[in-house]
Amino acid sequence: MSISELLSQFGDKYLLALITTYKLTICSFGLALIIGVIITVMRISPITPLKVVADLYVQIFRNIPGASLLIVLVYALPYLNIVLSYYTCVLTATTLIPSAFCSEYLMSGMNTISPGQIEASRSLGMTFMQTIRNVVLPQAIRSSVLPLTNLMVSTMLTTAIASQVPLNPMELTGIVSYINTHAVGGITAFVISAFLYCGTAVIIGQVGNLIDRKVRILR
Amino acid sequence: MAQATQTGTPVIELRHVDKHYGQLHVLKDINLSVKKGEVVVIIGPSGSGKSTLCRTINRLETIDSGEILIDGQPLPKEGRKLAELRAQVGMVFQQFNLFAHKTILDNVTIGPREVLKKSKAEAEQEAMQLLKRVGVDSQASKVPAQLSGGQQQRVAIARSLAMHPKAMLFDEPTSALDPEMIGEVLAVMTELASEGMTMVIVTHEMNFAKRVADRIIFMDAGAILEENTPEEFFTNPATQRARDFLESIQAH
Repeated sequence: MSISELLSQFGDKYLLALITTYKLTICSFGLALIIGVIITVMRISPITPLKVVADLYVQIFRNIPGASLLIVLVYALPYLNIVLSYYTCVLTATTLIPSAFCSEYLMSGMNTISPGQIEASRSLGMTFMQTIRNVVLPQAIRSSVLPLTNLMVSTMLTTAIASQVPLNPMELTGIVSYINTHAVGGITAFVISAFLYCGTAVIIGQVGNLIDRKVRILR
Repeated sequence: MAQATQTGTPVIELRHVDKHYGQLHVLKDINLSVKKGEVVVIIGPSGSGKSTLCRTINRLETIDSGEILIDGQPLPKEGRKLAELRAQVGMVFQQFNLFAHKTILDNVTIGPREVLKKSKAEAEQEAMQLLKRVGVDSQASKVPAQLSGGQQQRVAIARSLAMHPKAMLFDEPTSALDPEMIGEVLAVMTELASEGMTMVIVTHEMNFAKRVADRIIFMDAGAILEENTPEEFFTNPATQRARDFLESIQAH
């Protein structure tokens, strides 16, 4: 089938799939940022048990393949009487893994802050949390815009693992298998999805560059 | 300053303070008392422990034994209590340490707003007055990297002053500055001293020390070797070590 035939027959399905991919990407990335920040604060806190738990969290989710995590969530959790919807399973997998990477990026973003600024903050009488909120996190986040942009792209690409479960509506990779079981899309069906992934990644990259230029800290 | 030396509790008091870095004994049985309005200048060769001493006073450095009192209160070990006490002691660093992501105005208002819980308007009004006093009010909306070292250090002084500290610590405030910028920072400090601010200053600026100090502390190898008026210390040092030190810095 040619691209135009595919689009005329499955165009609306592609659109729906694109929206699903976007939805998954934005939700996962947003949640990953929030969790990443919390984990990072735990890692630099002076309370050892918090540090240990947070370090362990990062080690686990940075080092597990997305597909494996999804399989665990879909097939293993029911043994613990936890049955999540397919969508929730996918969202969980595509959130937990990027959140670990987010924390790693924030940790390296923190290295750009001179220890003297922390001392200055403490000597003004700010508490640990005040220092984190006013001095550490804003600078760590602002110096991590480019790696976080990459993280958003890779989060989007990770949502492709959703094709391994019967998600409804399907996302961009799932739709390809669907088309290839219902018609002869062949490689062309892939090309359309690839183009959509690629185009989105380019847009994310450009927006990321723009934000980075705007918030970059003059040193 | 003469009248202040008679008043009761010292603002800063160190009793038998000892500190080690591993094998290195960096502070040896330090006893020091700074009264309200007094300007104490600590001098000595590098590695003598003067910066460390300065930093122990608001516990940026911990101590192994001894006692440090601020206004008669022992320095708390950690947590909110320590933060509260730190808020009462201003600190000016060699590297300025302004918050790189904040404007000059925000650098000065953040302490009063976060710690003293002042309103934005009130904090900003006072900050502008302080910035004017140190001569950088026209730079208020810039970020630190856009200012010269001397300007940054004056902002750092304003940031400390905004907390209305009981005393101020200066840890080599002009050592990272270009020579032509040292004067502007020293001028602000001289003015502070004449207004009766209680100050502990670590510096290598001997002429400045002579001019503003009520008392000179000379340190070497972690111990206080001499404690004297600037006149006595600079004209007639009691120890050979101080004589050598003064000679070596006057040689050039």
